[in-house]
Amino acid sequence: MSELPAALCARNISRTYRDGDRLIQAVAPTSLELAEGRFIAIVGPSACGKSTLLNMFCGLDRPDEGTIEAPGLGGEGLLGRVGYMPQNDLLMPWRDVAGNAAVGLECLGTERALARSRALAHMARFGLQGFEHAFPGQLSVGMRQRVAMLRTFLCDRRINMLDEPFGKLDAFTRASMQAWLLDYWQENRCTILFVTHDIDEALLLSDEVHLMSPRPGRIILSLAVDIPRPRSYGEVVTSAPFNRLKARILAQLGMAP
Amino acid sequence: MNRRTWPPLLLGAAMVAAWELYVRLAGIDPLLLPAPSAVLRYLAGHGRVFARNGAATLAELLVGFACGVAVGLALGILMQLWRWFRQAAYPWLVATQMVPIPAVAPILVLWFGFTMTPRAVTVALMCFFPVAVSTVDGLGAVNPELIRLLRSFGAGPWAVVWRAALPSALPRIFSGMRVAMALSVVGAVVGEWVGSTGGLGYLMLQYENRGETAGLFATVGVLTAMGIALFFLVGWLEALVLPWKRHARETL
Repeated sequence: MSELPAALCARNISRTYRDGDRLIQAVAPTSLELAEGRFIAIVGPSACGKSTLLNMFCGLDRPDEGTIEAPGLGGEGLLGRVGYMPQNDLLMPWRDVAGNAAVGLECLGTERALARSRALAHMARFGLQGFEHAFPGQLSVGMRQRVAMLRTFLCDRRINMLDEPFGKLDAFTRASMQAWLLDYWQENRCTILFVTHDIDEALLLSDEVHLMSPRPGRIILSLAVDIPRPRSYGEVVTSAPFNRLKARILAQLGMAP
Repeated sequence: MNRRTWPPLLLGAAMVAAWELYVRLAGIDPLLLPAPSAVLRYLAGHGRVFARNGAATLAELLVGFACGVAVGLALGILMQLWRWFRQAAYPWLVATQMVPIPAVAPILVLWFGFTMTPRAVTVALMCFFPVAVSTVDGLGAVNPELIRLLRSFGAGPWAVVWRAALPSALPRIFSGMRVAMALSVVGAVVGEWVGSTGGLGYLMLQYENRGETAGLFATVGVLTAMGIALFFLVGWLEALVLPWKRHARETL
């Protein structure tokens, strides 16, 4: 879909789970190429295998068949090489904000004090200044999510997988977090794969949108989002391309206007 | 002193007063049941004896407790890290708890002689089990999503235990330590009964033989006070180690 080199390339990957006696195919053979520096969204109904796909991309799960290659990363395996932000913030209640943000770097081998100082240096950028020493129980949902995002981005991976990061936020918080993420990505230009069930969110943020079918999940529609950047929520959702793309996705889902 | 400390103190005072009145009015033989005032008088009159023997018991308690907690923690972590070890060791750990400690204590005296060691070992034997069990349970209860997150950062099994499982298990481990602390007083007294030349358990035997019931009661009182103080010490330690618990509105 793009002329840029592939940061990560999946060919015909599939994954089947065993649940007791039943076999559940979460992902049907699927191919996807994540081009370097692009913001790519995967949209699909809940339980369509989006998260399974993401888990395979960051090495937490292995495909039964097919291959995943990350030519740009070098070395073996994906664990520790691909950034990952889960749906739940998973902040550790026993660590303060700076400690939570630093834990990714620590696991990657950075010394604890150094990781912490790196986290502290980014507090303002992530809207957390003044809360460095607060414990997660004292934070709002939006702030918790920003800590989780800082934890992932602090690892400074070239590819980042975000699994419905704003799914649990209220509409206002989500809008401000989306704007913030767009800003951040504009500056840093890493490759992002963003999983969501919100079509508007996918079109607002991404360069390309891939639509997944209900389980067993596979990609049934891929669209380039030709809306100029920088984008703002108000401009995008009232623009003609936005409505055209949204109509195509809805049509594919059998919900055409 | 707040609202929560007054009711138990008042109830305790009322019961002591009732005891005193009963002994005096009914004319009970002080060899059977001395009045609280007599016990207190005995305590005050023999302060140095109680201090010396109390210190000996306290030393056994603390050394035994520390060893028991260390062994319990190590066993718990190993059982959580290696499934096969857990399956192999768990029934034997349960078996050690079925062995009556008073029956083991003479063997320990045989091995270690009339030193502090057999008593400390008795305490440790009582202590390690609740700590080991609460460690295994606590480590097993860590959020699996958190483990996946740390693995995505490239964390190995040790890093996962150190950064996620152990901290999230600490509240449970402290609960196990409270139980262990309560048991350790029993362990120390039993150890001293079997073979010792000092300590509050030894003192109890002396008073019993000499028919000094007031002394016996005073020793029980000192032991109880020591146990309560140590129990609160564990709670204080927990507040020190887990400052976030005071702030946490929700946990993982």
